[in-house]
Amino acid sequence: MNRKWLWGLIALAVLLLVAAPAGLEPYPYIMHIAIVALFYAILASSWSLLAGYAGQFSFAHMAFMAIGAYTAGIFGKFVRLSTSATGTCSEIPLGNIWLVFLNASGDNCLELAKANLPTGTLIYHPPALPGITLGIIMGGVFGFLIGVLVLRLRRTYLALFTIGFSEIMRVTLNAEIDITDGPNGLELTPLFPNGVHLLGFYFGPANKIPPYYVMLALFLGSMALMYWLAASRFGLFIRAIREDEEAAAALGVHVVRYKVLVFVITAMIAAAAGAVLAHFIGVITPNILLILQMSLVIAMAVIGGLETLIGAAIGAILIEFALEYLRTSFNIGPIEVDMTTWRLVFFGLLLMLTLRFWNNGLIYPIIQRLNRAGVAKETVAKRVATGEGTVEGTAEGG
Amino acid sequence: MIELDVNNIKKNFGGLQALNDVTFKVRGPELIGLIGPNGAGKTTLTNVLDGVIKPSSGTAYLNGRRIDTLPPYQVARAGLGRTFQVTRAFRRMTVLENLLVPAMALHATASRRNLEKRAWEVLEFLTFEHLANDYGRSLSGGQQKLLELGRLLMLDPDIIILDEPFAGVHPKLMETIYEYITTVNARGKAFIIISHDMDTIFTLSQRLLVLDYGELIADGDPETVRHDPAVVDAYLGEEEEETGPAVFEKDKREDA
Repeated sequence: MNRKWLWGLIALAVLLLVAAPAGLEPYPYIMHIAIVALFYAILASSWSLLAGYAGQFSFAHMAFMAIGAYTAGIFGKFVRLSTSATGTCSEIPLGNIWLVFLNASGDNCLELAKANLPTGTLIYHPPALPGITLGIIMGGVFGFLIGVLVLRLRRTYLALFTIGFSEIMRVTLNAEIDITDGPNGLELTPLFPNGVHLLGFYFGPANKIPPYYVMLALFLGSMALMYWLAASRFGLFIRAIREDEEAAAALGVHVVRYKVLVFVITAMIAAAAGAVLAHFIGVITPNILLILQMSLVIAMAVIGGLETLIGAAIGAILIEFALEYLRTSFNIGPIEVDMTTWRLVFFGLLLMLTLRFWNNGLIYPIIQRLNRAGVAKETVAKRVATGEGTVEGTAEGG
Repeated sequence: MIELDVNNIKKNFGGLQALNDVTFKVRGPELIGLIGPNGAGKTTLTNVLDGVIKPSSGTAYLNGRRIDTLPPYQVARAGLGRTFQVTRAFRRMTVLENLLVPAMALHATASRRNLEKRAWEVLEFLTFEHLANDYGRSLSGGQQKLLELGRLLMLDPDIIILDEPFAGVHPKLMETIYEYITTVNARGKAFIIISHDMDTIFTLSQRLLVLDYGELIADGDPETVRHDPAVVDAYLGEEEEETGPAVFEKDKREDA
């Protein structure tokens, strides 16, 4: 099988993903899982770019995701659009519309204004897109800060630092109740509060098809961006940095720039996924930052294959579906096996077995086989032509 | 014309004076050997010139540009390339990718196709065409050393510092590396070669620098240095009959 087949398989997979709602529309539960699976696929693949390609084993990925989600949520909580000036809130005119900022302790300024507003004044939530965009920007800003702060840290120290950052974020989100609504979670408006009219069809606000396509577009867009980056000089340099920072620098690679850049890019992708998911689910809580959640993303990437973006994404989708499928409890004679708990044990076992026996992941070897099949043949042919049987055949000491 | 000016470089690590007032010049494509006992400061000097560590005082200029204040990647782009004592091929990247890293770092706007063309020329020079798509980790130690030299060809620096290129190397590969050095030198590149292989370094070098306890105790042609009493005392020891300098009793300090 050669690369053409690989591209064929990818095209088929994309087609299936695009066409899936046609068959799954009557099953909103499965559609829901599909959206969450795509969310995890974005996280696992972007983490794979950060950890697998660039060697930055960061535990802050869910924190960047949460930064995107909470920025979008906080924007929705404190910003309104009004057709008239309130006179009591901080506000910025945008043509005929006013961008109104509510104060952190509640909607008091808006309540005060309501009595004096002209009749027919409309005050409404802003659409999701500006909040999501802000979330992505904030993700990039925090990605930059963390990228700069961890420049001199490697392996264990980097992991510990990023766990610390993630915990600080979680505790802060729990504590700042006025802004984040604390442990109760911050509510967000749906992605499409008024539903969507498309190609003559109407999809209501609760319909899963529009958010599915938003998440799918984000997934395909981020995969295309990451593959393009991985194939460019950016990809080459971050892999060289992963292998040996000093050697890469001695060969002219601007190590600082590329290490920070990979943090910024992957943080922005994670933040985008977080902001979209938060709008889809309608609520975001600080529990998303529990270490277990980050471990889940890492496990998905490791099982799929840490050094392949598509492997990590496939791993995430399969595991998300498997974890949901395995929720169904069953009986062995009189004993009931509660799968809501045991499924995590099976998942842990799978992770342990993968690390022990297939440390390149379960998907990566298959992709590698497809991807390098032609290359291997070519190399063997060249070796035969030069009269060498194996690599060791040319070994000259050392 | 290649010009390297190293002026009064000092480097202290706490109380340890690793380099003390080291001054020398390189003019043109010289082939220089840098020798001295372990711990003399050879690798520290390389690291200072490469920008990995900053000197405590002193300056270094390459072709008129000050390099002792630059980070390593800028020093590399300014025209100084190096290898390391321990081979540092990018193990999970193919041989071709290994070669493309310096080329792409140096030529930000060049097309990959053109750089790959140049990489294939280097592969041909190293007789490595059949290994182009093999991962660095699948090469033997000796092949990885050659790959490092190939990467330097892609970087195309004016001055190349090789740290122990002959250490632990099969005699046949030693010949290949020797040939590489003389060929690239003939193309107009200057070399500073750190080595403990006295026979090779005395034969190969046009000029020798000798470091001891961070001080440059000799700088001259191999024949003069061979009989320099300070060098004999610090490093070479007394000659045994006519077999050349091969007694390394002083060679017991840790490398700095």
